[in-house]
Order: sequence, then C-alpha cells, then structure tokens
Amino acid sequence: RTRTCRTRADWPGQEPEVPCASVPSGKPADRNCVEVPPPNGTVGCWATAARAADGSRVPWSKPSVAPAACPGDLPSRPPPSLPPLRAWRNRCPWHYLHLSDSYDTLVPTCFKAKLHRRRGSPTPDMASALTDGTSRAMNSYTYTSRPRALPCQRRRYRDSLTQSDDEPVRYGNIMYDRRVIRGNTYALQTGQLLGQPDPLELQRLQQAKRRALARKRAQEQLRPRTPEPVEGRKHVDVQTELYLEEIADRIIEVDMECQTDAFLDRPPTPLFIPAKTGKDVATQILEGELFDFDLEVKPMLEVLVGKTIEQALLEVMEEEELANLQTLQHEYEEIRNVELAEVQRLEEQERRHREEKERRKQQQWEIVHKHQETSQKIAARAFAQRYLADLLPSVFSSLRDSGYFYDPIERDIEVGFLPWLMNEVEKSMEYSMVGRTVVDMLIREVVERRLSMYDVKENGLQNLRP
Amino acid sequence: MPLPDTMFCAQQIHIPPELPDILKQFTKAAIRTQPADVLQWSAGYFSALSRGDPLPVKDRIEMPVATQKTDTGLTQGLLKVLHKQQCSHKQYVELADLEQKWKNLCLPIEKFRALLQLDSCEKRIEWIKFLALGCSMLGGSLTTAMKHLCEILTADPEGGPARIPFETFAYVYHYLASLDPDFSPSEVDTYLSTLKGSTDARKSGMIGLSDFFFGKRSLENLEESEDVGH
Repeated sequence: RTRTCRTRADWPGQEPEVPCASVPSGKPADRNCVEVPPPNGTVGCWATAARAADGSRVPWSKPSVAPAACPGDLPSRPPPSLPPLRAWRNRCPWHYLHLSDSYDTLVPTCFKAKLHRRRGSPTPDMASALTDGTSRAMNSYTYTSRPRALPCQRRRYRDSLTQSDDEPVRYGNIMYDRRVIRGNTYALQTGQLLGQPDPLELQRLQQAKRRALARKRAQEQLRPRTPEPVEGRKHVDVQTELYLEEIADRIIEVDMECQTDAFLDRPPTPLFIPAKTGKDVATQILEGELFDFDLEVKPMLEVLVGKTIEQALLEVMEEEELANLQTLQHEYEEIRNVELAEVQRLEEQERRHREEKERRKQQQWEIVHKHQETSQKIAARAFAQRYLADLLPSVFSSLRDSGYFYDPIERDIEVGFLPWLMNEVEKSMEYSMVGRTVVDMLIREVVERRLSMYDVKENGLQNLRP
Repeated sequence: MPLPDTMFCAQQIHIPPELPDILKQFTKAAIRTQPADVLQWSAGYFSALSRGDPLPVKDRIEMPVATQKTDTGLTQGLLKVLHKQQCSHKQYVELADLEQKWKNLCLPIEKFRALLQLDSCEKRIEWIKFLALGCSMLGGSLTTAMKHLCEILTADPEGGPARIPFETFAYVYHYLASLDPDFSPSEVDTYLSTLKGSTDARKSGMIGLSDFFFGKRSLENLEESEDVGH
C-alpha cells in the first residue's frame, strides 16, 4: 500500500518505476492494489474523500494523508498504516464499500489535494480540493498513466488465497474520465510541472516508504500466521494492544547464494519391508504336542494313494486301449493275409481260365483260317483251270509260229556245221588265191627283170651305136 | 546341525523315491489282474518281484466271461500267467511249486486237484500236459482247447495267426484225444495227417489258428458226433 502511494507520487516526476517489478513477490496484496484499475465509481471516491475529511476514516484514507504527512512525521507515524491494508485485503464490512472501488482513484486525488495544499490554499476539504483540481484541469492538471496490458478475461494464474475472486475488474470509459485531457495540445504547458515535488522531498518520501515496507515485511515474517478461517467465517484484523507502537526489532536479512552440485545419481530405493503388524506372543510347546505322524501323514498318503490309483487307472486304460488297437490290427492283418491269399488264388484261377480261353480261341481261329485258305485255293485253282483252258493252244501256236519249237539236228547243222563249212571253203580259197598271187608276183618279177635286161642291152647297143 | 529326531511338520516326512513307482506298478498290476483275493495275490506278486521272477500279472484285462460260465475261476489269461511264470524252458514242473503259484493267483485249490486227477502223476508233471489240461478245462470242444493252447503258446503278437510248431500241436492233440475215450486213434491220425499236409504245403512246420479253427467247418460232422469235453 505504501508502495502504491509512492508510485502514485512518483509518476509526475516521470520516473519509470514499474510497480509490478518493484513489489516483492511475497506481497500479492500490494500488487493487487496497484493493479486495481481506476473504477468508474468516482462517486465512491468523493464519498471517501468526504469521509476522509472528518477524520473518522483515518486508516483507509491514509493515502490521502500520507504524502502530506510523510515528509514530516515519519518516525512518529502511527502503525495504523498496516491495518488498513489488511482491512482492504479482508474487506472489512465497514470499509468495503469505499475501499473496493475508490481506492485507486483516491490516490491521485489525494495527490491533487496535497498539491493544492502546497500551493497555499490550506483547505483540507477533500471535496473542495477535488473540485479545485478539476476546475484547474484545463490548465495545470496532467495525468499520465503507465502503459500496461489489459488483463486477460481468463486469469492466467491462480489468485492469491486472500484475494476474493468475486470482485470484478472493472474498467471505465476513458473518455469520461475527468483526468483525461481533451482538446488541443498546443496550449499544454510543457516542461517541469508546477506541481512537481522537489527531489529532496521525494527522496525522503521514498526512504520512508522503503523503511515502512521493510518493517512490514519483518513484522509479517515474525508473526505466526493465523490458521485459515473455518468455512463461513472470515478473518478480521483487530487491534488488541492498548497502545500502538512501532515494532523496530526487525530481523536483518542477508541474501546468500549457493550453488548446488550437479545431479547426483539417485541411490537405489531400499527394499520395501512392510512394518510388522500384530503382536509377538510366545508359548511353551512340549515335545510331541504339535506333530502327530498318523494325522499328518494322512493327507500325504491320500494324495499318494489317490494319485497312484488314478494314474494307474489311466495308464491301464491307455495301455488296454493300445493293446486293443494292436490286437485289432493284428486280427485285421491276419484276415487281410487270408483274404490276400484267397484273392491271389482266385486271380491265379482266373488267369488260368483266361489263358485257356485264349488258347482255345486261338485254335479255333487257326482252324477257321485254314478252312478259308483251302477253299480259296480250290476256287483259285478252278478258276485258273478254266481260264487257262483255251490259252494253251494259242500260246503253242504262237510260239510255234515264232520258232520256239525246232529240230535239234537241223539246228545243229545250221548253227555248227554250215559256218564251219563256209569257213573251211573260204580258207582253201584263200590259199589258192595266195598261190596265184605269189605266182603272179614271180612272173611279174621275171618279166620285169627280163625287161630291164632288155633295156640294158638296148642301151648298150645304142651306146655303141651312138 | 543334525536334524532333530522329532518331527514338527508334514514336510519332514520322507517318502522313498522308489515307492511311488512300485506302488503304481503294483496298482496297475492289481487293476489289470483283478485277483479275487488281493492279499494273497499281493504276496505272490511281491515275492515274485523280490525274486526277480516273472510277475503274476495278466497282459490284458479279461472280462470274466469264461469264469462265470464254467465256474472254474480259470481263464486263458491266468493260464498264460501261469505259463509265463512256469519257466517255459523247463519240461517238468514241481507240483508243490505249481500249487503255490496256483494259490497266488487266487484260484481254488480244489480245481487244481480235479485237474490233476485227470492225469495221475506224482510230484511233478510235464508242463505242456498241465497246460493242455487247463486249456481243456476252459471249456468248449477239443478244437477250442487247442485254440486256447495255440494262443498261449504262440510267439506271435496278440490277434495274429498264433502259430505254434506242428509237433507240439500234434503231441497235445494226441494227449488230449487219448484222455477222451470217444476219440479213436485212427480218426486222430487222419485228422492230424490232413493238417500236416496243409501246413507242410504252406509253412515251415508251423500251424496257425486259421489252419484248424476255421477249418472246423469242414470237419463239423466229425466234431459234432464227438462228445468233446473234459
């Protein structure tokens, strides 16, 4: 809450402090306070302001006072700065109406009030200050709001336990906000605003706030928390001390850092041994009290005998069945053998019969064949005889005509004797011819010689005569 | 720390590991054999088990049809058990031993005596003859008795042709036929020679059930005229 106040006080100085970042994470209430948007209920604001005027609402109207009071009386500031916070958080039924929607609006208003006061109009009346502020808005009032994201329709994070979620987040139309400047910007005053607090005062303010914050933190840490209220109830902070006093003995905190080791191997999970249940009781047992052999052996014997008989029955049945099968098989085989022999015998008989039949058929065939052949031969002979009956004389005659029938002696004379005779005649004639020729030649030679001799003689005579 | 003598809980009871198996085998044998007097039979069973002899256990469960009809208490399965127990390689068995085994199978001792009266002998008896007598006691004709005998003596699996050597068959057949006065030796000889002819033609001296039991139809006239019994 103090943070809120300070932030609001800071913004005219254009210090871009981000409330969300500066607020410690352990105090969501503060952040909530900051983020409550300026509601449209300016009426509430006025009402608060009006109530603040009569001083009966010191705790929750503190922000209006704080900027004014802080610079001066910080040490003597009463601790009631905390209760309002809790009251706000817990929504005290008395303050709820005013706090719920007018708180955030209140701050700048208060600031204005302070400004107003500083400027020398000592009227503590908030309503008048406000009206004054609005009347002066045209020339001196400035409002700058830090840009921020619109909250989501659906929350991203769970609300803090203490924050009620039935409180709606409401937004007003900015055009009807009195703090929004309308009109042109030429006429706007630039540079340092008149209403700026001097840096020294600002610093002191900050210091005080920081201190208060530290104190609050220390107190919160020190104090054990009340357990959660039962259902249907709410916690209400009540001042129980007689006198309010500041708790100064806060614990000094030092930030330390420490680096843990890299991940070590996880040791093996020890074996789960369930816890022993029940009680251990001891008693004395005499020898032979627990164990009766005849009794104990009975189930075993039952099992043994029963199993044995069962098994034996089964096996006997199986073996009997097998033996039966075997017997049947042998019997069948025997019958089959006998039948096979019979079949063989029959087959042999059949074969013999068939062979006999074949043989007889063959014989019959042969007989028939021979019959046929004979008859054919007879027929052919008759035919040939008849056919050749008139052929024979003609053939003889033609043969006789062509000289196939002759006298052998005549033929021998003709063929053997006559050529020989002719040959002999020819030979003798040739001999005579040769003799005549030789004679002719002799004559011729003699004649020629005589002729030549005659010639020589003639010649000689001539020569002689020449 | 040594285990205390006293027992505290059932977990301390120790069961010998062989016990369940022995118990199971015993139970199976008992179920299968269905003795009339379990205690008597158990005594025989365990004494045979301890001596390592063949156990008096039937191979198959028998429906006690034959017992009820002829009231001898003797069945083919029991005879087979006896045959298994009597060392089959021994030709002669002691009568006392046989009687003990007979009793172990919970068979009435009177039957035993009646059986032995058929063939008088002392102290020892040829096993094959006793077996033949038992088979004839099972009821039915001589052929049925021979069928039982074949089924007991055969080495073929159950249901098989149940072949036995023809010599054994002929011997038993001769023996049984000689006990029956209605059989003339010549008939027996002709019958056996017919069988021998048929077996010689097919197998190597083995005669099976199918050789004479199914062949009964052809010999029906012969069988019917005879009063085959015991």
